[in-house]
Amino acid sequence: IGKITGCVFPLQGAGQDVGRSCILVSIGGKNIMLDCGMHMGYNDDRRFPDFSYITQNGRLTDFLDCVIISHFHLDHCGALPYMSEMVGYDGPIYMTHPTKAICPILLEDFRKITVDKKGETNFFTSQMIKDCMKKVVPLNLHQTVQVDDELEIKAYYAGHVLGAAMVHIKVGSESVVYTVSVNKYAKSHISAWIDKCRPDILISESTYATTIRDSKRCRERDFLKKVHETIERGGKVLIPVFALGRAQELCILLETFWERMNLKAPIYFSTGLTEKANHYYKLFITWTNQKIRKTFVQRNMFEFKHIKAFDRSYADNPGPMVVFATPGMLHAGQSLQIFKKWAGNEKNMVIMPGYCVQGTIGHKILNGQRKLEMEGRATLDVKLQVEYMSFSAHADAKGIMQLIRMAEPRNMLLVHGEAVKMEFLKGKIEQEFSIDCYMPANGETATVTTNPSVPVDISLNLLKREMALGGPLPDPKKPRTMHGTLIMKENSLKLVSSEQALKELGLNEHQLRFTCRVQLQDPHSDPDTLHRIYTHLKSVLKGYTIQHLPDGTVMVESIVIKVSSSAEDTNAKVLLLSWSYQGGEYFFTALCIVKRLMYQ
Amino acid sequence: EMEAVEFDDILDDWFIESLKTYKDLHVYQLEHPTQVIEWTSEKTVCVTGYSLSKNEILELRLPLKLFADENKGLCAERDFKVAHGGFTDGPVRRLRHIPGTRCVVTNDGLSSDLQVWDLGGDDSDVIRRTGSIAGRRNVSERGSRIAARLSSPPQVLHGAQSSDVQLTELTSGRTLYKLETDSTDPLSFLQFVSDTVFLAGCCNGSVYVTDTRTSAAPQLSPPPASSGDSVLWWADASVGPHPSSCRVVRLSSSGQAVVSDLRSLGGGAVCQAQLDVQERCCNLDHIRVSWAPTLDDCISVSGFSGVVQIYNTCGWSMELQERQPLFQHRGHVVSSQQTDDSTPVFTTAHIWHPERPRTLLSAASDGSVHVWDWVDPEQSAADGCWFLY
Repeated sequence: IGKITGCVFPLQGAGQDVGRSCILVSIGGKNIMLDCGMHMGYNDDRRFPDFSYITQNGRLTDFLDCVIISHFHLDHCGALPYMSEMVGYDGPIYMTHPTKAICPILLEDFRKITVDKKGETNFFTSQMIKDCMKKVVPLNLHQTVQVDDELEIKAYYAGHVLGAAMVHIKVGSESVVYTVSVNKYAKSHISAWIDKCRPDILISESTYATTIRDSKRCRERDFLKKVHETIERGGKVLIPVFALGRAQELCILLETFWERMNLKAPIYFSTGLTEKANHYYKLFITWTNQKIRKTFVQRNMFEFKHIKAFDRSYADNPGPMVVFATPGMLHAGQSLQIFKKWAGNEKNMVIMPGYCVQGTIGHKILNGQRKLEMEGRATLDVKLQVEYMSFSAHADAKGIMQLIRMAEPRNMLLVHGEAVKMEFLKGKIEQEFSIDCYMPANGETATVTTNPSVPVDISLNLLKREMALGGPLPDPKKPRTMHGTLIMKENSLKLVSSEQALKELGLNEHQLRFTCRVQLQDPHSDPDTLHRIYTHLKSVLKGYTIQHLPDGTVMVESIVIKVSSSAEDTNAKVLLLSWSYQGGEYFFTALCIVKRLMYQ
Repeated sequence: EMEAVEFDDILDDWFIESLKTYKDLHVYQLEHPTQVIEWTSEKTVCVTGYSLSKNEILELRLPLKLFADENKGLCAERDFKVAHGGFTDGPVRRLRHIPGTRCVVTNDGLSSDLQVWDLGGDDSDVIRRTGSIAGRRNVSERGSRIAARLSSPPQVLHGAQSSDVQLTELTSGRTLYKLETDSTDPLSFLQFVSDTVFLAGCCNGSVYVTDTRTSAAPQLSPPPASSGDSVLWWADASVGPHPSSCRVVRLSSSGQAVVSDLRSLGGGAVCQAQLDVQERCCNLDHIRVSWAPTLDDCISVSGFSGVVQIYNTCGWSMELQERQPLFQHRGHVVSSQQTDDSTPVFTTAHIWHPERPRTLLSAASDGSVHVWDWVDPEQSAADGCWFLY
């Protein structure tokens, strides 16, 4: 069993607040791609990961054993159709069921915006998205999947978005765990399974590793404060949402707040949103966090006291109201229609709860644009208040330390989108956990040497025998040699006693006996010589067991000494010393003594 | 990180009230509590741990959202960023930034020696120790106080007792000035009020006013008249355009606050009050009193409990009357993460933002750090219900 190394390098880019994730891991001779994200900040090929690191030309199929996608955010799966259909990859793509259901929707939306709205050409088509998804093999939680004879993977709940998974990858006795972020609920379950397989390498996103996050309570407070202030001055609040984003949580929050404050202004939820969300949440109920699940159990997702279904005619009603509508980036559909109606009034507000892709209205107003060009050359004056609220759930500094504390990896690897120095965090991790921490830059290979632990069973008999040898119990500082035989059978290793090994292997035990002849000048009779030898040895070899046996031999411990007359010389005696393999250590002692006898 | 908290729980009274009583509110949880919050630049502060063994020094960049005045709504960034970090071998109880440099000087509160650190620039995010400055005495019960003002070459004023206050040149270690006095009163306050004049306040309430240019003995002002014996005193001086316009507030461990003019420090107070500090904890190491940098007449008090109080001294008289705070930040008590109920959470430090009139940062024993911009209840009452932001 030699030294095994794992190589990891990110194919992702440096970037602003949102980067792209794409990591290549080489472990036990297998190559695995973790995530395949798109960089939203670029308009050209820089938005795609640089696959030339894998191969200069040609398809990637031969170079990759599998691709694993952690969750549906575009900075983790946005380049998947490009990779599989335009660069070329026909192998398996693994992701959880919810991710598989949601990815194509986001990819298609994204494609529409990029191609139809922005007129880009080097981009994947709708058909490519479909072809790509055909290569997807969905993963169930806690189910081991054999990618091939040696590579197995398993998905665990990570929880920061619907369907987000932490992936455990194993080749032989080496393992890697990859996660983007982990929420509190998932964390309480990690220790249960991760105890059994402390990974050699834990790979985590660290874009937010150097931040200390403001509490969720304060973010929610800010949201409620803005909504309340707008309602109080008679304004209308538009909240464009993605069906599976924060919509449900924000609804529950508003409902509770309305109840508490006894507010009367109407809150509406567009029906398209309701149907889609209900559909997906019912499908993936086991994938949601506690809070959402509890809501579902207590009531139908959208049976609220204060929140009603929206009708497009309501947008013209006077007075304050709050409306949740899709799509989330204001790029089309109902939310855009409502926005056009309300944008001209400064008493109104639009709250964007997430990142908006370039080319969308959402992106433009978040960049401060106050005059928008709409279809038919019409300009829209944006007078309403624009609020950007981020509820993203990436792990911060404390979160990463907690993750390492629970997972207890042998090595840590942090991947980040920014070319930022993180020496302090590296030092902190190395100090607190006494493990190596790697932070490879794009295109840089991190070689992690793993020392796989080799589990060996020991037979009870052997263990008992060693203990029966007596003496003090083995001290960790003073190891005691144990003799046994190591048997390797069907991927398991066992340490057994020699007798048991012989029995199992069906072999006979052989005895080794050595003999040595020493010539002595001694005219006495054989028995006399033997007796003299016995007496002499007894006087000089104190502490040894020396016996004069009736069968005419002398035994020093287990060394047998016989005397016989020499055939050639009547005054000479031939001493025959013999000992078995075990008794060999005394041989040299005996020989020395006997030689001394000769010169007596 | 997503927290599985019931919404009904978070919509408690304080939370609902906070929608009106704070313009901005940010709540953070450090891994370890800090006794130090010190500005190192317009947008960065330093915090440090005070456990007896290893600790961290962190330089944190304040969230962008706090500074985005015009397009505030467009900025979603609410988090602290760890700009630089380092490790210390012992506790850090005092930390002072040396203006004009990237250096900070720390003291562990156990000895009188100081440690000198380089916060680092753009090329590295590690804070490194570059040296140390020996205090005049080896052992000190309360540790040294540290003060600094802009000077070239950089200098640091420090001392644990009135008898060992000295001004040391940072790089050479040369002593430039020594406060000559026989009394050995432990210090609770050390501050420059101008380039050459500094105040050394003792725990017993007396204050030395010293001009480093003269070799004359420092002026000693006696402690304020107070009702209790064995009270301890803390102080803060408001730094105005001229030392003569400077005011000093002294706060006792029994909650008596005395305001004096620097000119007539010995002569008598300008006004005083008995503050309603609601003392909850016996460890007085964390008492802090501070003048608000831009709000006239306002002082802030913390350390008696888990609350930060703001008082308006305008309208105080010479009589020792009980006064109520203008505003109380109860955030640390309400959102305490502490699981151990036997020791209530208490505030360990607070500072004002140098320019934003009502913005403060406060820290507590449970590791929480809050950044809050409070609404003046008197002003908002006058304004009515129209919220401007």
